Amino acid sequence: MRLIVHDLANHDYDAWLSGFSRDTDEVIGESGTIRHCVGCFGCWVRTPGTCVLKDPYKHMGERLAACDEFVLISRNVYGGYSPFVSNVLNRSLPYVLPYFVIQDGETHHQQRYKQRFKFSVHFYGEGITEAERHTAQALTRANAKNLDASHYSVSFHNTLHELTEVQP
Amino acid sequence: MKMALINGSPKGGPSNSGFLLEKLKPLITEGNELHSYRVNAKQLKPEQYRELNEADVIVLAFPLYFDAIPSHLLRMMVELENYRQSEPGNPNLIVYVLINNGFFEGRQCTIAADMVSNWCVRCGFRFGMAVGHGAGEMFNDIKMVPLGKGPLKNLGKAMTRLSTAILTRSSAESLFIQPNFPRILWRLSATHFFWHRKAKQNGLRPKDLRKQPFQESR
Repeated sequence: MRLIVHDLANHDYDAWLSGFSRDTDEVIGESGTIRHCVGCFGCWVRTPGTCVLKDPYKHMGERLAACDEFVLISRNVYGGYSPFVSNVLNRSLPYVLPYFVIQDGETHHQQRYKQRFKFSVHFYGEGITEAERHTAQALTRANAKNLDASHYSVSFHNTLHELTEVQP
Repeated sequence: MKMALINGSPKGGPSNSGFLLEKLKPLITEGNELHSYRVNAKQLKPEQYRELNEADVIVLAFPLYFDAIPSHLLRMMVELENYRQSEPGNPNLIVYVLINNGFFEGRQCTIAADMVSNWCVRCGFRFGMAVGHGAGEMFNDIKMVPLGKGPLKNLGKAMTRLSTAILTRSSAESLFIQPNFPRILWRLSATHFFWHRKAKQNGLRPKDLRKQPFQESR
Protein backbone atom coordinates (compact mmCIF):
# COMPACT_ATOMS: atom_id res chain seq x y z
CA MET A 1 0.00 0.00 0.00
CA ARG A 2 1.21 3.51 -0.81
CA LEU A 3 0.60 6.40 1.56
CA ILE A 4 0.43 9.61 -0.46
CA VAL A 5 0.50 13.04 1.19
CA HIS A 6 -0.08 15.98 -1.14
CA ASP A 7 -0.93 19.67 -0.97
CA LEU A 8 -2.91 19.97 -4.20
CA ALA A 9 -6.48 21.15 -4.35
CA ASN A 10 -8.68 18.06 -4.70
CA HIS A 11 -9.72 18.95 -8.25
CA ASP A 12 -6.06 19.38 -9.24
CA TYR A 13 -5.18 16.04 -7.68
CA ASP A 14 -8.03 14.37 -9.56
CA ALA A 15 -7.14 16.15 -12.81
CA TRP A 16 -3.40 15.65 -12.79
CA LEU A 17 -2.85 12.52 -10.79
CA SER A 18 -5.69 10.22 -11.76
CA GLY A 19 -3.18 8.15 -13.74
CA PHE A 20 -0.78 8.09 -10.81
CA SER A 21 -3.23 6.81 -8.21
CA ARG A 22 -4.11 3.20 -7.52
CA ASP A 23 -7.17 1.90 -5.75
CA THR A 24 -5.06 0.62 -2.89
CA ASP A 25 -3.43 4.00 -2.19
CA GLU A 26 -4.19 5.85 0.99
CA VAL A 27 -4.28 9.53 0.08
CA ILE A 28 -3.99 12.42 2.52
CA GLY A 29 -4.88 15.81 1.08
CA GLU A 30 -5.38 19.20 2.66
CA SER A 31 -8.89 19.00 4.00
CA GLY A 32 -10.23 19.62 7.45
CA THR A 33 -8.15 20.82 10.34
CA ILE A 34 -4.65 19.69 11.15
CA ARG A 35 -3.00 20.75 14.39
CA HIS A 36 0.68 21.57 14.62
CA CYS A 37 3.04 19.35 16.59
CA VAL A 38 3.59 21.13 19.90
CA GLY A 39 6.81 19.34 20.84
CA CYS A 40 5.32 17.76 23.96
CA PHE A 41 6.84 14.29 23.36
CA GLY A 42 3.49 12.80 24.39
CA CYS A 43 3.70 10.43 21.40
CA TRP A 44 6.84 8.98 23.00
CA VAL A 45 6.15 9.07 26.74
CA ARG A 46 2.37 9.27 27.30
CA THR A 47 0.73 7.28 24.50
CA PRO A 48 3.74 5.63 22.81
CA GLY A 49 3.29 5.44 19.06
CA THR A 50 0.23 7.69 18.93
CA CYS A 51 0.05 11.48 18.97
CA VAL A 52 -1.87 12.97 21.90
CA LEU A 53 -3.43 15.74 19.79
CA LYS A 54 -7.00 14.86 18.93
CA ASP A 55 -7.46 15.21 15.18
CA PRO A 56 -7.41 12.87 12.15
CA TYR A 57 -3.60 12.91 12.06
CA LYS A 58 -2.95 11.39 15.47
CA HIS A 59 -2.27 7.93 13.98
CA MET A 60 0.37 8.98 11.44
CA GLY A 61 2.97 6.72 13.04
CA GLU A 62 1.02 3.53 12.47
CA ARG A 63 -0.16 4.71 9.05
CA LEU A 64 3.47 4.97 8.01
CA ALA A 65 4.12 1.54 9.47
CA ALA A 66 1.32 0.14 7.30
CA CYS A 67 2.67 1.39 3.96
CA ASP A 68 5.34 0.02 1.68
CA GLU A 69 5.86 3.35 -0.08
CA PHE A 70 5.56 6.81 1.42
CA VAL A 71 4.98 9.45 -1.27
CA LEU A 72 5.10 13.21 -0.74
CA ILE A 73 3.84 15.57 -3.44
CA SER A 74 4.66 19.09 -2.39
CA ARG A 75 5.10 22.57 -3.66
CA ASN A 76 8.73 23.59 -3.25
CA VAL A 77 8.95 26.04 -0.36
CA TYR A 78 12.49 27.31 0.21
CA GLY A 79 13.93 23.92 -0.71
CA GLY A 80 11.56 22.03 1.56
CA TYR A 81 7.96 20.93 1.77
CA SER A 82 4.93 23.21 1.86
CA PRO A 83 3.48 24.02 5.30
CA PHE A 84 0.74 21.36 4.99
CA VAL A 85 3.01 18.51 3.89
CA SER A 86 5.53 19.60 6.48
CA ASN A 87 2.76 19.61 9.10
CA VAL A 88 1.75 16.02 8.29
CA LEU A 89 5.38 14.93 8.42
CA ASN A 90 5.89 16.68 11.77
CA ARG A 91 2.90 14.76 13.13
CA SER A 92 4.57 11.49 12.07
CA LEU A 93 7.08 11.66 14.93
CA PRO A 94 5.54 8.65 16.77
CA TYR A 95 6.77 6.48 13.88
CA VAL A 96 10.24 6.52 15.50
CA LEU A 97 11.38 5.90 19.07
CA PRO A 98 12.79 8.55 21.40
CA TYR A 99 15.98 6.50 21.84
CA PHE A 100 19.11 7.24 19.83
CA VAL A 101 21.44 5.19 17.70
CA ILE A 102 24.73 6.27 16.10
CA GLN A 103 24.86 5.79 12.32
CA ASP A 104 27.77 6.97 10.20
CA GLY A 105 29.01 9.02 13.13
CA GLU A 106 25.70 10.83 13.60
CA THR A 107 22.90 10.48 16.11
CA HIS A 108 19.53 9.31 14.79
CA HIS A 109 16.39 7.88 16.32
CA GLN A 110 15.90 4.17 16.78
CA GLN A 111 13.06 2.69 14.77
CA ARG A 112 9.79 1.65 16.40
CA TYR A 113 8.85 -0.74 13.58
CA LYS A 114 10.94 -3.35 11.81
CA GLN A 115 9.32 -2.85 8.41
CA ARG A 116 10.77 -0.31 6.00
CA PHE A 117 9.22 1.67 3.19
CA LYS A 118 10.37 3.35 0.02
CA PHE A 119 10.37 7.14 0.29
CA SER A 120 9.44 9.08 -2.88
CA VAL A 121 9.28 12.85 -3.00
CA HIS A 122 7.95 15.00 -5.84
CA PHE A 123 8.56 18.73 -5.61
CA TYR A 124 6.68 20.97 -7.99
CA GLY A 125 6.69 24.69 -8.70
CA GLU A 126 7.95 27.19 -11.20
CA GLY A 127 11.34 28.78 -10.75
CA ILE A 128 12.85 26.33 -8.28
CA THR A 129 16.35 27.73 -7.80
CA GLU A 130 19.54 25.67 -7.85
CA ALA A 131 20.05 26.38 -4.16
CA GLU A 132 16.50 25.20 -3.36
CA ARG A 133 17.01 22.08 -5.46
CA HIS A 134 20.23 21.33 -3.58
CA THR A 135 18.50 21.87 -0.21
CA ALA A 136 15.53 19.72 -1.22
CA GLN A 137 17.80 16.85 -2.23
CA ALA A 138 19.66 17.08 1.07
CA LEU A 139 16.37 17.24 2.99
CA THR A 140 14.93 14.17 1.28
CA ARG A 141 18.14 12.24 1.90
CA ALA A 142 18.17 13.24 5.58
CA ASN A 143 14.47 12.40 6.06
CA ALA A 144 14.99 9.03 4.37
CA LYS A 145 17.80 8.29 6.77
CA ASN A 146 15.89 9.34 9.86
CA LEU A 147 12.84 7.33 8.78
CA ASP A 148 15.09 4.39 7.87
CA ALA A 149 13.61 4.21 4.37
CA SER A 150 14.74 1.20 2.31
CA HIS A 151 15.54 3.60 -0.52
CA TYR A 152 14.45 7.04 -1.66
CA SER A 153 13.96 9.17 -4.73
CA VAL A 154 13.41 12.87 -5.30
CA SER A 155 12.18 14.59 -8.44
CA PHE A 156 11.34 18.13 -9.50
CA HIS A 157 8.50 19.28 -11.75
CA ASN A 158 8.07 22.79 -13.11
CA THR A 159 4.33 22.46 -13.58
CA LEU A 160 1.49 20.36 -12.31
CA HIS A 161 1.17 19.01 -15.83
CA GLU A 162 4.62 17.45 -15.51
CA LEU A 163 3.33 15.45 -12.59
CA THR A 164 1.12 13.51 -15.00
CA GLU A 165 4.30 12.11 -16.51
CA VAL A 166 5.20 10.52 -13.20
CA GLN A 167 5.00 6.78 -13.53
CA PRO A 168 3.21 5.01 -10.70
CA MET B 1 18.58 49.38 15.34
CA LYS B 2 15.21 47.70 15.55
CA MET B 3 15.73 44.01 16.21
CA ALA B 4 12.94 41.44 16.09
CA LEU B 5 13.62 38.30 18.10
CA ILE B 6 11.27 35.51 17.06
CA ASN B 7 10.87 32.49 19.29
CA GLY B 8 9.57 29.76 16.97
CA SER B 9 9.15 27.07 19.59
CA PRO B 10 5.69 25.49 19.50
CA LYS B 11 5.74 25.07 23.28
CA GLY B 12 3.59 27.36 25.37
CA GLY B 13 6.07 27.91 28.22
CA PRO B 14 9.85 27.77 28.58
CA SER B 15 11.67 26.50 25.51
CA ASN B 16 15.15 25.77 24.22
CA SER B 17 14.73 28.46 21.55
CA GLY B 18 13.85 30.90 24.34
CA PHE B 19 16.96 29.80 26.24
CA LEU B 20 19.16 30.63 23.25
CA LEU B 21 17.51 34.02 22.73
CA GLU B 22 17.92 34.87 26.41
CA LYS B 23 21.64 34.10 26.16
CA LEU B 24 21.92 36.34 23.09
CA LYS B 25 19.92 39.33 24.37
CA PRO B 26 22.50 40.81 26.82
CA LEU B 27 25.08 40.81 24.01
CA ILE B 28 23.00 42.90 21.60
CA THR B 29 20.81 45.05 23.85
CA GLU B 30 22.92 48.19 24.25
CA GLY B 31 21.78 50.99 21.96
CA ASN B 32 19.22 48.82 20.19
CA GLU B 33 15.48 48.35 20.36
CA LEU B 34 14.64 44.70 20.95
CA HIS B 35 11.15 43.36 20.24
CA SER B 36 10.18 39.80 21.08
CA TYR B 37 7.67 37.68 19.17
CA ARG B 38 6.35 34.20 19.78
CA VAL B 39 5.12 32.08 16.89
CA ASN B 40 3.37 28.86 17.83
CA ALA B 41 -0.09 27.53 16.99
CA LYS B 42 -1.24 31.14 17.28
CA GLN B 43 -0.02 33.05 14.23
CA LEU B 44 1.12 36.68 14.20
CA LYS B 45 -1.25 39.63 13.78
CA PRO B 46 -1.16 41.81 10.61
CA GLU B 47 0.53 44.69 12.44
CA GLN B 48 3.23 42.32 13.64
CA TYR B 49 4.03 41.35 10.04
CA ARG B 50 4.41 45.06 9.31
CA GLU B 51 6.80 45.44 12.26
CA LEU B 52 8.89 42.48 11.11
CA ASN B 53 9.01 43.78 7.56
CA GLU B 54 10.34 47.13 8.77
CA ALA B 55 12.88 45.77 11.25
CA ASP B 56 16.63 46.17 10.70
CA VAL B 57 17.41 42.72 12.06
CA ILE B 58 15.40 39.53 12.52
CA VAL B 59 16.72 36.76 14.74
CA LEU B 60 14.80 33.55 14.18
CA ALA B 61 15.11 30.85 16.85
CA PHE B 62 13.47 27.45 16.43
CA PRO B 63 13.79 23.73 17.08
CA LEU B 64 14.69 21.36 14.25
CA TYR B 65 11.72 19.27 13.07
CA PHE B 66 12.40 16.45 10.61
CA ASP B 67 15.67 18.11 9.53
CA ALA B 68 13.78 21.29 8.69
CA ILE B 69 11.74 24.25 9.93
CA PRO B 70 8.66 23.30 12.01
CA SER B 71 5.44 23.72 10.02
CA HIS B 72 3.85 26.39 12.24
CA LEU B 73 6.88 28.64 11.78
CA LEU B 74 7.07 27.84 8.07
CA ARG B 75 3.50 29.15 7.72
CA MET B 76 4.57 32.44 9.28
CA MET B 77 7.56 32.67 6.95
CA VAL B 78 5.34 32.13 3.90
CA GLU B 79 2.94 34.79 5.21
CA LEU B 80 5.80 37.25 5.69
CA GLU B 81 7.03 36.55 2.14
CA ASN B 82 3.49 37.28 0.85
CA TYR B 83 3.27 40.42 2.98
CA ARG B 84 6.60 41.70 1.66
CA GLN B 85 5.41 41.34 -1.91
CA SER B 86 2.72 43.94 -1.21
CA GLU B 87 4.75 46.11 1.20
CA PRO B 88 8.46 46.52 0.33
CA GLY B 89 9.56 47.23 3.93
CA ASN B 90 13.19 47.68 4.95
CA PRO B 91 15.42 46.88 1.94
CA ASN B 92 18.43 46.21 4.18
CA LEU B 93 16.77 43.78 6.56
CA ILE B 94 19.20 41.06 7.64
CA VAL B 95 18.27 37.69 9.16
CA TYR B 96 20.15 35.57 11.69
CA VAL B 97 19.16 32.10 12.86
CA LEU B 98 19.46 30.08 16.06
CA ILE B 99 18.51 26.44 15.63
CA ASN B 100 18.54 23.71 18.25
CA ASN B 101 18.14 20.03 17.54
CA GLY B 102 17.36 17.01 19.69
CA PHE B 103 20.25 14.98 18.32
CA PHE B 104 23.80 15.70 19.42
CA GLU B 105 25.55 17.09 16.38
CA GLY B 106 24.91 20.72 15.54
CA ARG B 107 25.65 20.03 11.87
CA GLN B 108 22.27 18.31 11.58
CA CYS B 109 20.81 21.86 11.55
CA THR B 110 22.53 22.66 8.25
CA ILE B 111 19.56 21.94 5.97
CA ALA B 112 17.18 24.08 8.04
CA ALA B 113 19.70 26.93 7.94
CA ASP B 114 19.85 26.59 4.14
CA MET B 115 16.06 26.77 4.00
CA VAL B 116 16.13 30.05 5.91
CA SER B 117 18.80 31.31 3.53
CA ASN B 118 16.58 30.35 0.57
CA TRP B 119 13.66 32.15 2.24
CA CYS B 120 15.81 35.29 2.52
CA VAL B 121 16.45 35.20 -1.22
CA ARG B 122 12.71 34.90 -1.93
CA CYS B 123 11.92 37.79 0.42
CA GLY B 124 14.77 40.07 -0.58
CA PHE B 125 16.37 39.83 2.89
CA ARG B 126 20.08 39.45 3.51
CA PHE B 127 21.15 36.26 5.25
CA GLY B 128 23.52 36.94 8.13
CA MET B 129 24.54 33.62 9.63
CA ALA B 130 23.18 30.63 11.50
CA VAL B 131 24.15 28.98 14.74
CA GLY B 132 22.97 25.37 14.95
CA HIS B 133 23.31 23.65 18.32
CA GLY B 134 22.84 19.98 19.15
CA ALA B 135 21.48 18.37 22.33
CA GLY B 136 18.87 21.09 22.79
CA GLU B 137 17.04 19.16 25.49
CA MET B 138 20.15 19.51 27.69
CA PHE B 139 19.62 23.25 28.03
CA ASN B 140 17.05 22.89 30.79
CA ASP B 141 19.55 21.02 32.97
CA ILE B 142 22.40 23.46 32.40
CA LYS B 143 20.51 26.73 32.31
CA MET B 144 22.38 28.07 35.35
CA VAL B 145 25.79 27.46 33.73
CA PRO B 146 27.34 30.76 32.62
CA LEU B 147 27.68 31.22 28.88
CA GLY B 148 31.17 30.24 27.72
CA LYS B 149 31.76 27.87 30.64
CA GLY B 150 31.64 24.06 30.93
CA PRO B 151 29.16 22.50 28.49
CA LEU B 152 28.30 25.97 27.16
CA LYS B 153 31.86 26.80 26.12
CA ASN B 154 31.19 26.29 22.40
CA LEU B 155 27.92 28.19 22.66
CA GLY B 156 29.73 31.11 24.29
CA LYS B 157 32.13 31.39 21.37
CA ALA B 158 29.30 31.05 18.87
CA MET B 159 27.24 33.76 20.60
CA THR B 160 30.21 36.12 20.51
CA ARG B 161 30.57 35.57 16.76
CA LEU B 162 26.82 35.90 16.23
CA SER B 163 26.43 39.07 18.31
CA THR B 164 29.41 40.67 16.57
CA ALA B 165 27.82 39.94 13.20
CA ILE B 166 24.44 41.28 14.39
CA LEU B 167 25.89 44.51 15.81
CA THR B 168 27.74 45.20 12.56
CA ARG B 169 24.85 43.88 10.44
CA SER B 170 27.28 41.73 8.53
CA SER B 171 27.24 38.20 7.19
CA ALA B 172 29.54 35.57 8.63
CA GLU B 173 30.14 31.85 8.27
CA SER B 174 27.50 29.77 10.03
CA LEU B 175 28.50 27.68 13.04
CA PHE B 176 27.20 24.21 13.87
CA ILE B 177 28.19 23.13 17.35
CA GLN B 178 27.37 20.79 20.21
CA PRO B 179 27.79 21.06 23.98
CA ASN B 180 31.22 20.47 25.48
CA PHE B 181 30.07 17.17 26.91
CA PRO B 182 30.78 13.53 25.92
CA ARG B 183 28.21 12.22 23.47
CA ILE B 184 28.01 8.82 25.14
CA LEU B 185 27.14 10.40 28.50
CA TRP B 186 24.58 12.64 26.85
CA ARG B 187 22.99 9.62 25.17
CA LEU B 188 22.86 7.57 28.39
CA SER B 189 21.45 10.44 30.40
CA ALA B 190 18.84 11.11 27.70
CA THR B 191 17.66 7.51 27.98
CA HIS B 192 17.70 7.10 31.76
CA PHE B 193 17.19 10.59 33.15
CA PHE B 194 14.91 12.01 30.47
CA TRP B 195 12.84 9.41 28.59
CA HIS B 196 12.58 6.80 31.33
CA ARG B 197 11.89 9.42 33.96
CA LYS B 198 9.13 10.95 31.85
CA ALA B 199 7.69 7.49 31.20
CA LYS B 200 7.60 6.79 34.93
CA GLN B 201 5.85 10.11 35.56
CA ASN B 202 3.15 8.86 33.18
CA GLY B 203 2.87 5.46 34.85
CA LEU B 204 4.72 3.65 32.04
CA ARG B 205 7.65 1.23 32.12
CA PRO B 206 10.58 1.62 29.72
CA LYS B 207 9.40 -1.31 27.60
CA ASP B 208 6.02 0.43 27.16
CA LEU B 209 7.76 3.16 25.16
CA ARG B 210 8.47 0.58 22.44
CA LYS B 211 4.79 -0.17 21.89
CA GLN B 212 3.86 -0.67 18.23
CA PRO B 213 0.32 0.49 17.49
CA PHE B 214 -0.86 -1.52 14.55
CA GLN B 215 -3.22 -0.47 11.80
CA GLU B 216 -5.81 -3.01 10.68
CA SER B 217 -5.33 -2.23 7.01
CA ARG B 218 -1.70 -3.28 7.15
